[in-house]
Amino acid sequence: MIWNRLSLVCILTLLFQQMAFAQQASGDFLRSIGHIYVVVAVILIIFFGIVLFLIYLDRKLTKLENQIKENE
Amino acid sequence: MIRQSWWKILAVVILVYTILAGMLIPLKPGIAEVTPRALQAGTEVELTVTGYNSYYAKAKNDLRAWLKLKGDLVLKAARIEVLNDRTMKLHFILPQYLPSDSKDDACSLILDSPIDGAIVLPEGIALTQDSVNLLEGKKLWSVDKMDQLNAGPKLTFPYRSVLYESIRNQYFHVPLWFAMIFLFMFSVNFSVRYLRKYDPDADQRTLALNRAGFVFGLLGTVTGAIWAKYTWGAFWSWDVKQNMTAVALLIYSAYFILRGAFQDEEKKARLSAVYNIFAFAALIPLLFVIPRMTDSLHPGNGGNPAFGGEDLDNTMRMVFYPAGIGWTLLGFWVASVAYRVEKLQQRLLDA
Amino acid sequence: MNFFAQIGILLRKELVLELRMGYAISGILLYVLSTVFIVYAAFFQGVNSPMLWVTLFWIIMLFASVNAIVKSFVQENGARQLYYYGLLDPLAVIVSKMIYNISLLFFLSLLTWAAMAFIVGNKVEEFSAFLLALFLGSAGFSILFTFVAAISSKADNNSTLLAILSFPLVIPILMTLIKLSVVATGMLEDTGIGKDIGILVAIDLVLAGLTLVLYPFLWRD
Repeated sequence: MIWNRLSLVCILTLLFQQMAFAQQASGDFLRSIGHIYVVVAVILIIFFGIVLFLIYLDRKLTKLENQIKENE
Repeated sequence: MIRQSWWKILAVVILVYTILAGMLIPLKPGIAEVTPRALQAGTEVELTVTGYNSYYAKAKNDLRAWLKLKGDLVLKAARIEVLNDRTMKLHFILPQYLPSDSKDDACSLILDSPIDGAIVLPEGIALTQDSVNLLEGKKLWSVDKMDQLNAGPKLTFPYRSVLYESIRNQYFHVPLWFAMIFLFMFSVNFSVRYLRKYDPDADQRTLALNRAGFVFGLLGTVTGAIWAKYTWGAFWSWDVKQNMTAVALLIYSAYFILRGAFQDEEKKARLSAVYNIFAFAALIPLLFVIPRMTDSLHPGNGGNPAFGGEDLDNTMRMVFYPAGIGWTLLGFWVASVAYRVEKLQQRLLDA
Repeated sequence: MNFFAQIGILLRKELVLELRMGYAISGILLYVLSTVFIVYAAFFQGVNSPMLWVTLFWIIMLFASVNAIVKSFVQENGARQLYYYGLLDPLAVIVSKMIYNISLLFFLSLLTWAAMAFIVGNKVEEFSAFLLALFLGSAGFSILFTFVAAISSKADNNSTLLAILSFPLVIPILMTLIKLSVVATGMLEDTGIGKDIGILVAIDLVLAGLTLVLYPFLWRD
């Protein structure tokens, strides 16, 4: 459980570092090619937002499952 | 199974369509840059035009270009020199006088190509003349005519010089609001039902819908901030709609805090239902009335057209309306999962 | 006992209690005076800004209102609630509290204005518009805070919950009020003053209507 969460945090940090690095490297990454990466960033945020909510629900469900097991 | 969750399948199908159509349909060809922007009457000038999504080289021999002043007075380009698909040089021989009674005027640039269609750069170029001669100017500018403009590619999204490709965010950022509003509306509906029948199930549905609506609202704010950074220049521009949605999110955070303040389940459900109805009523002027009455950077406010005119053409509608439905369905899917978790927890507590 | 007689009696009860517990109202008066003095010392020495004046005026009013209204349900302990429950119409209780709080806040806002005018200097030029803003503002504040105080009185940690629940709801009212008051100081020539008044009246009416509809559900315990 804790490893799952840690790896997610690592991946997200890496992603943002990469984006920040790309931004430094080429002036302004998000403004390149007609601002298309603004759209990409928006889609990624929505995706990760919904995934984070699903992870929250998942953890809740795991807890409930364990409780049911204990009850049995 | 399939029969019960047909709407989830519908959501997936619509969202796949939204993402594919929203990302793959190209922007209409446009003019990214023109130099120089200031011209002197009576000289021969060379304009360098940089296009966006354009195919100048392909349509090399059929390209035409005009400078256009008010009252349909035009001047045709004497020579067009195409360097590549994205750049060309236009040569104009400007007459001595402008059809204008002042020394300064502004004209627009119009390009026409069988592949890209007619493209207008409105009021982008300044003209100056040394002396005024209205009649002579009118005569000199009425020699050329602009006719038989090409229609250009049909399946495109509009080209806007500030937005560029980020116009596609219309299908990802805006529908989040629709989803949020619908989720909150249904949650109010269940709050009313709770107060009528004191049915704990209605309370669990309210909570789940509010959770999902809050997540969508939060995502809408964050994505809006990113989009704003690259169109308006700052993550937070203190735009009235941004402020009001921030307030709306605060109100719903208060709803969750209120739920945490009670131990007794019945009391928690009843008081939060009351607050939920009150909060939604306070939300309506927040999201719909006040923004429309104040100046805003968003379309649809302070006299800007709402989802109409040039901001939303037919091709965009074809993607935007399904996108609204698709994201809303996804919101209800997320809410239904949250509801089932809540329900299970309740059953465990009761047992 | 009919509805209006009940309201009359409840109003009298509020007033008598207020006068008997003199420390509550004098505490708020002291709060207003000392805040205005602090505001003067911090912001206004050698500064003449109507915008700042109006903003600080409404912020002082906001906190004074919270302090004045938070006690309106605190004193209603469980036993007294039960007594009301058998005796009175819930609508009479909330309506009397709303009327009492509106007049209290209107009085308080006039007082804050006087204190600001005395210590900082009066920046208001259009008196009727500002008085209207004061009335609509105190009406909006008192309806909202009274209702939210009724909710939060059911929980234990009372005053914190009141602030958390009501501040987000009060922001639109506050923003419109500040706009309206800035116009009243004569700093802005605004043609949309009728629109702002309309928004405020609409918000006040909606909140009042909802309070009347929803209070009976809070009432039973």
